[in-house]
Amino acid sequence: MTLWHKLRPYGMVAPAIIIFSLFFIYPIFYMMYLSLFDWNFVSPTKTYVGLQNFADLLADEDFRKVLSNTTIYTVLTVTLTTGLALLLALWLNRKSFFHGFVQGAIFSPHIISLVSISLLWSWLMDPEYGLLNWVIGLAGFEKLQWLSHPGTSLVSLVMVAVWKGLGYNALVFIAGLQSIPADIYEAASLDRSKPWTTFSKLILPMLSPTIFFLVIINMIGSFQVFETIAIMTQGGPVNSTSTLVYYIYEYGFRFFKIGYASASGVILLVIVGILTIIYFKLLSNRVHYR
Amino acid sequence: MLKAVNRTIGSASIGTAAEGKRADVRSGKAVLRKALRAVLQVINVAGMLGLVLVFAMPFVWMISTSLKTLPETMIFPPVWIPENFVWQNYADAWNTGPFLSYFVNSVVIAVGILILQMLTIIPASFAFARYKFKGSGFLFGIVMVTLMIPAQLIFLPVYLELSAFKLLNTHLGLILPFASSAFGIFLLRQAFMQISDELIEAARLDQAAEWKIIVQIMVPMVKPVLVTFALFSFIAHWNDYFWPLVMTTNETARTLPLGIAKIRDVEGVATWNTLMAGNLILVAPILVVFFLSQRQIIKAFVYNGVK
Amino acid sequence: MAKIELKNISKKFKDDTVIQNLNLTIKDGSFTVLVGPSGCGKSTTLRMVAGLEKQSDGEIWIDDTCVNDTPPGMRDVAMVFQNYALYPTMSVRGNIEFGLKNRGVARGERDKLVKDISEIVGLTPHLDKKPQNLSGGQRQRVALARAMVKQPKVFILDEPLSNLDAKLRNQMRTELIQLHKRLGTTFVYVTHDQVEAMSMGDEIVVMNKGVIQQADSPMKLYHDPENLFTAEFIGTPAMNTMQMRDAQGLDIQASVGIGYVGFRPEQALINAGPDSEGYTVEGEILTRESLGAEQIYQIQSRSGVFFVKTFLAPVVTADHVKVTIPYEHLYYFGLSGERLRSGVQANRKQLATVGGI
Repeated sequence: MTLWHKLRPYGMVAPAIIIFSLFFIYPIFYMMYLSLFDWNFVSPTKTYVGLQNFADLLADEDFRKVLSNTTIYTVLTVTLTTGLALLLALWLNRKSFFHGFVQGAIFSPHIISLVSISLLWSWLMDPEYGLLNWVIGLAGFEKLQWLSHPGTSLVSLVMVAVWKGLGYNALVFIAGLQSIPADIYEAASLDRSKPWTTFSKLILPMLSPTIFFLVIINMIGSFQVFETIAIMTQGGPVNSTSTLVYYIYEYGFRFFKIGYASASGVILLVIVGILTIIYFKLLSNRVHYR
Repeated sequence: MLKAVNRTIGSASIGTAAEGKRADVRSGKAVLRKALRAVLQVINVAGMLGLVLVFAMPFVWMISTSLKTLPETMIFPPVWIPENFVWQNYADAWNTGPFLSYFVNSVVIAVGILILQMLTIIPASFAFARYKFKGSGFLFGIVMVTLMIPAQLIFLPVYLELSAFKLLNTHLGLILPFASSAFGIFLLRQAFMQISDELIEAARLDQAAEWKIIVQIMVPMVKPVLVTFALFSFIAHWNDYFWPLVMTTNETARTLPLGIAKIRDVEGVATWNTLMAGNLILVAPILVVFFLSQRQIIKAFVYNGVK
Repeated sequence: MAKIELKNISKKFKDDTVIQNLNLTIKDGSFTVLVGPSGCGKSTTLRMVAGLEKQSDGEIWIDDTCVNDTPPGMRDVAMVFQNYALYPTMSVRGNIEFGLKNRGVARGERDKLVKDISEIVGLTPHLDKKPQNLSGGQRQRVALARAMVKQPKVFILDEPLSNLDAKLRNQMRTELIQLHKRLGTTFVYVTHDQVEAMSMGDEIVVMNKGVIQQADSPMKLYHDPENLFTAEFIGTPAMNTMQMRDAQGLDIQASVGIGYVGFRPEQALINAGPDSEGYTVEGEILTRESLGAEQIYQIQSRSGVFFVKTFLAPVVTADHVKVTIPYEHLYYFGLSGERLRSGVQANRKQLATVGGI
């Protein structure tokens, strides 16, 4: 073993580790540190305020609204996306050209920029000339205000998120379904299992790792929603769509309350951290047992 | 004996008659079942076409709008095919800002990130997969923690950092934080670990130098994973809106998604036709690539989810 | 061509001693087979010769050079792996010439060598295919060609036939023997299958728990085992052995302590005439395996269950049989399993019929 042999692995991992340390690991600690200060970004001095920022946040009406918005948005998006995707997967799980085409079509929004999707849906949801209002008008319903009304704005954003995520989720489910060996279905049919029994007693349990996986990554994604809000609603009307990342962005870059924004960042970090730890527990299990 | 034979014959004849009737009923049922199946098949196909409509219609509407005149966008009920195709909308969209610069920035950043990622993740994941060295557990821990932190979460401190390095509003500032990918290392390490030891030993007996083993044998073997990751990374960074929005203030450093989003803010009235034209400029390349290599891309994204 | 010497070799994995103080000389030009149950250290020994594993202690010599510090690529050995280890991203040609390229062999000579070798192993029509598109036998040939093309001093083969089906395995066995004759190079071959070892090797090294039990020619191993382990390992079915105290009715005089007595299934006689002398046991036939030319009987006696093999004899239909083993075909082993070649004398009694049910 020459010195070169000993040093080689370190040299190989060094560039990646340096990047991670600089732009991911260090910023976390820096953010925690900043959350203890009152600072407006321009002034040369930071004032130490201890946990005051956190106390202020939890007392802040707006922040509580933001937390509840984020939670409602997440719960709705995750349940709708995962549930509908499972149904779609059961329906579309066949290998034919036509099925492939349908799968491709429902998947396509997943690779489109959120900017495009936000703009497109702003247009579709336009209260005056939008296509959606025309369609529901044809069906005999009254026009909706969609994004322009506090009552419907958050649900409208959920709709967009479901539309974007549905295809991806369905295809992950289909991959999960296809990894179930065919002889299990054959054995079940030889045992005269009814379709519903086969689904609830065999398919669903075997899909449960996939379901957990999707629920968790959908949750992590939903908690960080930003683009659609920034482009479609800017948090309005009347704060009805302001969520955590958007809140941090506003406090950091509009109001320059760095400490305050950092404190809410730390809170989001804790939420996402818990979710990711659960996710990686699952992921490592999947990797090992496959 | 004779009686018995008679009885069998008798019952046999009765049997055939009954069977004939049953067969009639059966064929009637079969016809009904066939018809039912055909109806279900039609409903099934119609349902799927409806599904395609829900997902494709918005895109069609986008194209349609992008070719309309402004008054045409406000006609109610809406027109699907504009009277005259107004290609001018695309030029208008392009001229709302420095689009050439946006475009170049987008390409430079997405490609730059991709190249640097390849250069950093291949050696790192190989080392993690194949060498035993002191501290490898700790260093891989750093990778795992990084994997768990979404960039969306730490933009504020990174912004302050980049501003301290004077990297705001530069390509480097947009590229450097993503010059390596924990996700890529995770995927690739897994792939390298699956290659059998025998193969490396065979290469060592063939007198191949270590770099040759990596470059000529190991990397070609993980090519599918590399392609997967490359697609994933390129699309993610091409589409990214958040990071350039936060890290740049200057038009000269901004990217296509920002430029498109900005069309909306230009005038007070929403010029949906121009906006949709601009939107198509952003979406078209991705959609074209998607239709050309749909299977590969779906595999790339779903694989990342499943594995 | 080369002679290989292993001197006082030990191998430890962490605190586990896999091989303890092993000494072995592999003769120049021999076809030496290392055989033993899994985990006996045969593969480790082989890998140490190749340089893929470093011994914890001792020296390895190939010809007159100590190769302890020579990296695997420079030892002039070629290896055929159990799973072939073909480079899946290279064509058959690429696989064969990779080693030559790394040695800096010029293109013209390379092409000629590849052409010659692929003709020998019958791969010429497949040179531009990828290994994935070949059958198991063809892959095996690529692995062989890749080893041969380097014209090494030593060929090392690690269970190369274990992934082939039975018919192909027999065919490749013959081919490998012919190949060895043709090349005259030293072959070191590892297998857990004693039949394979016996049929291929001209020198067999039986190993168990990291210790060499016996290194000899196949015939010596079969007729003259050094110890109980070798006796029980070689032969199909293996030698019948029983503890001395179970061998009822065997009357012997011994100057040393006898632990075990054994006999080969094919040496025992079923219902032999009264004039045949030997140790006689009575028992019930449990099973009969008829393989055509030979029959194998499993017999339950008071001394335990044992096998008897007969050749070209009619099938014994009786359930109750008398089995006679001529005294000269009895093997005696000491209390710790070592072979006792002298100091044991059976008392010849015409009618030593004991043990019947």
